[in-house]
Amino acid sequence: MSIKFAFVASLGLIFGMAPLLAHHSFEAEYDYNKPLKLSGTVTKVEWMNPHARFYVDVIDESGKVTNWNFELGPIVILVRQGWRRDSLKPGDQVTVEGFQAKDGNALGNARRVTLPDGRRVFGGSTENDQK
Amino acid sequence: MTNRYVSEMVARAIAVSMLVLVWFSASAQEPGKNTKKVRYPGAVRPTKAPPPGPPGPVPRMPDGKPDLSGVWNAQRELPGDPEPDMLPWAAALTKQRTENYSADDPEARCVPGGVPRATPYHVQMVSTPKLILILFEGNIHTFRQIFLDRTEHLKIAQPLWYGDSIGHWEGDTLVVDTIGFNDKFWFDMAGHPHTTQLHVIERYHRRDYGNMDVEVTIIDPGAYTKPWVQHRVQILTPDADILEYVCNENNQDPGHLEGDTH
Repeated sequence: MSIKFAFVASLGLIFGMAPLLAHHSFEAEYDYNKPLKLSGTVTKVEWMNPHARFYVDVIDESGKVTNWNFELGPIVILVRQGWRRDSLKPGDQVTVEGFQAKDGNALGNARRVTLPDGRRVFGGSTENDQK
Repeated sequence: MTNRYVSEMVARAIAVSMLVLVWFSASAQEPGKNTKKVRYPGAVRPTKAPPPGPPGPVPRMPDGKPDLSGVWNAQRELPGDPEPDMLPWAAALTKQRTENYSADDPEARCVPGGVPRATPYHVQMVSTPKLILILFEGNIHTFRQIFLDRTEHLKIAQPLWYGDSIGHWEGDTLVVDTIGFNDKFWFDMAGHPHTTQLHVIERYHRRDYGNMDVEVTIIDPGAYTKPWVQHRVQILTPDADILEYVCNENNQDPGHLEGDTH
């Protein structure tokens, strides 16, 4: 890995980089009218393509626990942004900002994730574009 | 790659990151507020060219032809090309697909994007005297072969996702002629369709070290009333590798691609 890549990657993880594209239309699945900001405990991480995913137990005001499924970008984009397989681990306390699925499930597209160490990073998520 | 170029890239990265940081702070409390909303994302036309790639001379093969090898950002359409002239069925189908938020896009099902669909991922081009390979990082993780050692298309037993591509040089421009397609893929997220009569001609011109102009001509009398010419560019990413991308490993999206039904 070149010095340039390492440097840009670390900046990307700290400051975030513009969301990149993925393999499906964002608005076919998610709803811009359903923004989310949820905090909870990571229960599982799927470091796989076409999207990395992580699952978070979120407790609502009544004490009910819901396990949310959050989509990140594809690994090839996350890695270039500075993400690594162990950037998120089960047990981590995180805050996720993003958008809920149109079908109303506990499914979201994670645009920004606040990691346990306080870094707030982009999720490499799908974005509007023609490709 | 020179140290000067590395320095320029680092400086640009810092500048961009600082800009992002400013925007990032301003939007920190309202995740939805600053997100650009486009009603039909597939219908968005390009409004500007991407930033240019690194300067320098065109690398050459031992025979003097341009060496197209390298890891490139995927092709991006340049602004200014007109909309294609379609037969009524094709225009109606494109409209329906676009207005359904591209929910039925085959690419979201991890099947090949075909030609000339530009992926959002990197590609690696490998030049040899008789064969040029285009290795796709994603979607899907596969390849195209462009044969320079024959001038006739193969007798293809079945329609193909990437067709049969033969290439020749016109000066410093690689001209790629491809036929033999199936009709299963979309040209773009807008959903522009085609038939098995599709004939694609691509002209690759490595303008300098870091910039490749690509002119794409789509000929399909089964769907379009005249050739559709697109002008694209792809940008070199120095010192990069393409990475593994196995789309079908955990593709949960299709069960949730709802279009505008909710």
